[in-house]
Amino acid sequence: MRTNLKVAIAEPADIIRYGLEMMLRRLPGSRLQLVEIASAGSLLDLLRLHKPDLLIINPLLPGSFGLSHIKEDCGCQEMKCVALLTTPVDPQTLEVYDERLSLYDSAEEIACKLQRLANPPEAVVGDGEEGQQLLSQREKEIVVCVVKGMTNREIADRLFLSTHTVVTHRRNIARKLQIHSASGLTIYAIVNKLVELSDIKQ
Amino acid sequence: MLSLATQTVTTNNERKMYKNGLYRETDKMSDLICENYPMVLVMSRFGIALGFGEQNIGEVCRQNGVDATTFLAVVNFLTEEVPTPVDWTDSHLSVGDLIRYLHNAHDYFLQFRLPHLRRKLVMAIESCPADVAFVITRFFDEYASEVNKHMAYEEQSVFPYVRGLIEGRKDPKYNIAIFRKRHDQIESKISDLKNILIKYYPGEGSYLLNSVLFDIFATEADLASHTRVEDFLLVPAVAALEQTL
Repeated sequence: MRTNLKVAIAEPADIIRYGLEMMLRRLPGSRLQLVEIASAGSLLDLLRLHKPDLLIINPLLPGSFGLSHIKEDCGCQEMKCVALLTTPVDPQTLEVYDERLSLYDSAEEIACKLQRLANPPEAVVGDGEEGQQLLSQREKEIVVCVVKGMTNREIADRLFLSTHTVVTHRRNIARKLQIHSASGLTIYAIVNKLVELSDIKQ
Repeated sequence: MLSLATQTVTTNNERKMYKNGLYRETDKMSDLICENYPMVLVMSRFGIALGFGEQNIGEVCRQNGVDATTFLAVVNFLTEEVPTPVDWTDSHLSVGDLIRYLHNAHDYFLQFRLPHLRRKLVMAIESCPADVAFVITRFFDEYASEVNKHMAYEEQSVFPYVRGLIEGRKDPKYNIAIFRKRHDQIESKISDLKNILIKYYPGEGSYLLNSVLFDIFATEADLASHTRVEDFLLVPAVAALEQTL
């Protein structure tokens, strides 16, 4: 779990909420920012305040108000919702949820489910094999351009790509190297002799 | 001199302060520090010096003119593995002391921690190729100036606004929701530096470089918890204060 996600857990039972929170914190490499929501009363306010990327919620909490209503009301239309199943729930109610967690899920299963929601498979293109940390030739070319201070538009024109493809490459570079800033990439490029210092000193 | 006026929001919930596992006024200050040594930073940011003998937390706070409830709120927030959500609308928290704490933390990062880390870093990478040393140092300087900008905004816009609120003045052009929306994490970029040193540092390893790496880990954690105090203690407390005016 390498993603920086803001996750809200809405579950009134302290034991379950704390338990899930501890599990999430202990996932290997967890970078989750967690928000606890202990009651239906504070649900809307806290969602409005924190605007989480992901909501793990006891499906009984939204009640008759309805999940889509909640998303709209809090301005969180993009938020993914996971039903936390602690009791049997009418399957129809569950249709609006993106994923379900059971009380008996293992840490690995939970990690898998959250990972899937955080990075839908279509977002990864090119040589997106997991564990493949070396940069492709094309990615190295893009690193050089970024380090020289070119914009995505300029890089796209230079390499005959669409800006969309450049953005995707940059995302993959950040994921592979765990370097998220242009000045961090500069160090990478110098260390690996992709550029000379004279190329980047304006 | 900062305003130390303590705005108290009335309450009837003693329950929260006396929960199992949380520190209380009657616990010894020295126990707190020995059990959670990062709390020495919290203490000093509240303006409390070492050398408090056998006194308990409440006594030490009172002697130093610090609101013990606020001190304990920060300590318990930072030491709990899973911080309990707190409803600040009915807690008695001194927003003035909280602002003083945050201001001192800024001072610590900008005047001490970052310059100290830079000196150590520059010494530690002396032996690596000049171009690499140059870009690493430049990265650090860019980062330090970002942190500076981030904290300067809080010092110049947010804190004066909150001090105004404490004195009963509400600025019609500002509210804490503006801060909440634009408040970003400042520790993610220093984690870039950490990753670069760990994975790609081309020079010889040294005791000093290891020590720099330890410092970066500690700084990253310290900045992250600083941001959390702002997001989860300051913002709700100020929002509650806004409601009362």
